[in-house]
Amino acid sequence: MITDQLNIPKQICKRCILPGTFPGIKFNENGLCNHCQKQIDSSQTSNTSTKKRNFRYRLDALVHDLKGTAPVYDIIVAYSGGKDSSYILKLLKEQYNLRILAMTLDNHFVSPAAIENIKVITDKLAIDTLIIRPPWAAIKPMFNLTAQKDIFSKTTLMRASSICTACIGIVKSIVLKTALEMSIPLVGYGWSPGQAPIQSAILKTNPQLIQTNQKVLINSFPLELKEKLNQYFIPDSYFKTFKEKFPHNIHPLAFFDYDEDHIKKELKKMGWKSPEDTDSNSSNCRINAYANQCHILRHGFHPYVWEIANMVRQNIMTREQGLIKIYSDQNKEMVSYAKEKLQQ
Amino acid sequence: MNEIKKTIRKFIIENFLFGEEDNLKGDTSFLEEGIIDSTGVLELIEFLEEQFDITVKDDEIIPENLDSLNNLEKFLTRVEAK
Ligand SMILES: [Zn+2]
Repeated sequence: MITDQLNIPKQICKRCILPGTFPGIKFNENGLCNHCQKQIDSSQTSNTSTKKRNFRYRLDALVHDLKGTAPVYDIIVAYSGGKDSSYILKLLKEQYNLRILAMTLDNHFVSPAAIENIKVITDKLAIDTLIIRPPWAAIKPMFNLTAQKDIFSKTTLMRASSICTACIGIVKSIVLKTALEMSIPLVGYGWSPGQAPIQSAILKTNPQLIQTNQKVLINSFPLELKEKLNQYFIPDSYFKTFKEKFPHNIHPLAFFDYDEDHIKKELKKMGWKSPEDTDSNSSNCRINAYANQCHILRHGFHPYVWEIANMVRQNIMTREQGLIKIYSDQNKEMVSYAKEKLQQ
Repeated sequence: MNEIKKTIRKFIIENFLFGEEDNLKGDTSFLEEGIIDSTGVLELIEFLEEQFDITVKDDEIIPENLDSLNNLEKFLTRVEAK
C-alpha cells in the first residue's frame, strides 16, 4: 500500500487524520478526535445539502441585485492559477456571466506553470487579469522573517504556516483595497470546502471587523517591515470613505459540488495543466514546500492538515488521499530552491 | 456567570485557547489578543448559529457584538429576546 511510505505519526484520528500533535486535540476511546465527535453531534441537526442549495439561491439573488451596477467589474477574484481559483472563474463566467477582474499577487515564487495557466484560463474565459508584483526588497524580508519565526497567533498557525499567513494577508488586503477603489461589489475566493465554514460562504464584509483584523496582522510585523508592507494594506481613511461600499465576499466552492478530479478534468478541457503533470517538482507556489517544512519542524504538524482533515471528514476527499497529501515528505528540491532564493 | 457565557467560554477555551484559560476575562478582546483571527470569527459564527439556533446577520458581525465574552453575552441576550 502506498501509505506504507508515508511518515504517519503514531497517534492520529481514526477518521480525519488530525495528529496527536495538533493543538488542543483530544481522542475518545474509539480513537476519534474531538473535531470528528463534534461533527457527528452537529450533523444530527443540520442538513448540508439543504444548506448548500440555500446558498446557491442566495448567490443567485445577490447576482441578480448587483450584476451590472458597478462601473466596470461585477466581481474581483483572487487568482493564483491553481485549480480551485481557476474553477471559480469558470463557474462565475459560465453560470453567471459576470464581468470579472482576476487579481494575482506575484510573490516572486509563482511557478512558470501557474503563470501559463493564468494566461490560458483568462484568455479562454475572456477575463482581465491584474498582476501586482511587490519588489523583492519587500518580499524577501517578509519571507525570511516568517521562515525563521512565528509572528502570528497560535490560532492562526493552526491553519496555515507563517509564510502563507503573511502572503495571504497581503492578497486579501490588496484584493479588497482594489474592490473599494474600483467600486466592485463582489469579491470571490477559491477557498476549498475545508478552508472556511459554509456559514460564511456569502458574507458582506464589515469595515470595523476588517480594520481590527488588519491592525492585528500589521502589528505582528516588526517596524521596519511594517513600513515596507504598509502600502499593500487598506489605508485607515478607506474605512470611512468607502464605508458604504464594502463588498460581499463569496466562496463558491463551499456550496457548489467539490470534486478534485472533476475540477481538474473540466479545467484540462480548457488547456489548464496540472502542475504535477508538467514537472514533478512543480506546484503553483515555489515557496510552499519550504513553508510547510518550516512549520512542521517548529510545530510538529503539517500546516494544511486542518483543511485536509475537514475535507476527509466531509467525505470530499478519501482518507488515503488525505494521508498522502499530509504525510508525504516535502519535495527536497523545492525546499532548497526557496531556501537558496531567499539568500540571494 | 450565566449559561450563555459559560457555553461560549467553553467553546473559546476548547477551540482557540487549547485548554489554557488563564487570560480569558469577560472583556478580553478576542481579536486584539490574537485569540480569534478572521477565519476564527467565521467559526465562532458557525458555532453561535448551531448552538443557539439563531441566524447572525451580516450587519451584526461587528466587534461590538462578537469581540469578547461580555459583548457576546449582551448580543445573544438581545437576539434571543426577539
Ligand atoms: Zn478526527
